[in-house]
Amino acid sequence: MRIRAVVSATLASAGILLAGWQSGAHVAESASAVGTTAGTAGTGTTGTGSAKSGLGSSAGGSSSGSAASGDTSSGTGTSGSGASGSSGSSSGSSSAGGTFTGDSVQTRFGSVQVQISVSGGKITDVKALQLTDEDRRSVQISNRAAPLLRSEVLQAQSANVQTISGATVTSSAYLTSLQAALDAAHL
Amino acid sequence: MNTSTQTAQQPLARRAGAGGNPFAAQHRRRMFRGDLLTVIAWSSVAAAIALWLADGGASGFSTPGGTFTALGIVAGLAGMDLVLLMLLLAARLPIIDGAVGHDRALEFHRKLGKPALYLLLAHGVLLAVGYGMADGLDPVSEAVSLWVQVPDMWLAYISILLFIAVVVTSLVAVRRRFPYEFWYAVHLLTYAAVLTAIPHQFSVGGLFAEGTWQRWYWLAVCIGTGAALAHYRVLEPIVATVRHQLTVSRVVSAGHGVVSIEMTGRHLDELAGSGGRFFIWRFLAPGQWWHPHPFSLSAEPVTFGADGGGRLRITVRNLGRGSAALARLRPGTRVAVEGPYGLFSSASRSRRKVVLIGAGIGITPIRALLENTPFAPGEATVILRGHNQSGLYLGDEILDLCQRRGATLFHLTGRRPRGVSTWLPESESRAGYRLASYAPDLAGSDIYVCGPDAWARNVLDDARQAGVREEQLHYERFDW
Repeated sequence: MRIRAVVSATLASAGILLAGWQSGAHVAESASAVGTTAGTAGTGTTGTGSAKSGLGSSAGGSSSGSAASGDTSSGTGTSGSGASGSSGSSSGSSSAGGTFTGDSVQTRFGSVQVQISVSGGKITDVKALQLTDEDRRSVQISNRAAPLLRSEVLQAQSANVQTISGATVTSSAYLTSLQAALDAAHL
Repeated sequence: MNTSTQTAQQPLARRAGAGGNPFAAQHRRRMFRGDLLTVIAWSSVAAAIALWLADGGASGFSTPGGTFTALGIVAGLAGMDLVLLMLLLAARLPIIDGAVGHDRALEFHRKLGKPALYLLLAHGVLLAVGYGMADGLDPVSEAVSLWVQVPDMWLAYISILLFIAVVVTSLVAVRRRFPYEFWYAVHLLTYAAVLTAIPHQFSVGGLFAEGTWQRWYWLAVCIGTGAALAHYRVLEPIVATVRHQLTVSRVVSAGHGVVSIEMTGRHLDELAGSGGRFFIWRFLAPGQWWHPHPFSLSAEPVTFGADGGGRLRITVRNLGRGSAALARLRPGTRVAVEGPYGLFSSASRSRRKVVLIGAGIGITPIRALLENTPFAPGEATVILRGHNQSGLYLGDEILDLCQRRGATLFHLTGRRPRGVSTWLPESESRAGYRLASYAPDLAGSDIYVCGPDAWARNVLDDARQAGVREEQLHYERFDW
């Protein structure tokens, strides 16, 4: 009787583990597919790196006048981060307030970096240049958390907002990067 | 809870004289249930790990830091699953009690304690190392940063401290130094430990993030365990107490330092067949009500009327301070009750014949079992063991029952020999008697043993040496 229990328990457990492992292998494949998309996002980071250096000079006299808010939103709408780099450098002369990029914050699930658009002393948009993307779960968590965080930040007009439950690491990195961007914008 | 015993018993009583083994089918069913529970328990641990594998967790092994993190997550999942299994084993679920018995369930519960704690400690250490390697921090700084920065983690730290406290106070060596009540109070902290452990599992771990099916599985397992505990450890006792309305009717001496407590109540017909099984009693008198006593019935419930009104009896000895106060219980004291629990009943019978062996106060459940378990005349042997004749409690009643039902009765009295481990008195031991000397057909019998721990172990060893299989041995611990 004991033997019967041990044998069937071992078989059942092995079967369950095998089933889990098999479906996990699927996930790993799709995660590597996600990895390549994350790679493209990586090139975005180098773009923002140069934008950041450009920011140093232009940050000083950036806030002036009321923005043609249509301009800013179209600028952030284009997903290529090279565009933000150019808008960052041009912000000094134009009346659009400008875009400011926060530090890239490293977490165990990948790095996070955000960029804000400022107009008339107000945050008009928050864009995530890079989000936690270490694995499929992180991508999923980031995709869920980013829009929520964006709307919270736009409402609160600061980095002082609640973290998203189930995405605490992403949230805190997001808000840290955001704070750096706010500091750069002197907000 | 008792209906299965009841339905099983009536046909058995009729068929018992017909030859063959009337308990074979019941025994097969019970063994099957026990095996099934074993499979479920193992599978639940495998399932906890499979949740993580199905999430692509195995890919974490590609980096050194990821390997520590992966192992840490697996340890946490398995550890939490063991904790939930421990809770279920202690939840007095009828299915577990009926398959392996309350004693055996608590034995498994105890065995899982240390592995569960080691897994949870490993979970903390491995993740501090793994996350630390990913963040470029040493494990201690990483642990501090987790505490400070990640919500719900401070609860998890409290949880692990509580788990350590609970397991340490349950170690045999430590437990002996403190009164039962202290251990019990610390053990209640288990609930706090589990509750403080749960938030970080859902908020910090990505595995159970919102929108995953793993989250639903884990929620179901946690809530199911909580519901089982609430139902069987809180609701059922209240229902039983209200339904049976037990009050102490009489306290009579049954030997030196031993009293029988009789209680009257309602709907006691529902408890038929529970003689020999134990209940948790709380006598609702000043200074007594909070003290739970696990005692077996020393007689079958007696019912007077059609409404099930009747009488229960327990027979107890002055073992601890709490038990001593029982001798002074006043008639009319109300009694809260939980039970019946355990397999010291006909539900665990597997053979035609039966051997009942009791020592000291352990004789009392033997007395109840002798009254209700089915056997044909000549197929039961009763062995009573005591220091002297007056230590064979309820001896007159047992003699009467043996005469009426046709059971063979042995009285074994006297001190045990020095330096020899035996359950027999000195003269019988010298004469070379064994258990088989008293009950020749041990292979065809169920053997029920109740008495002090060391003594009972000697009886069981004697039986095993005579070739009795484990499934035929039924014993009840009653010293805590």
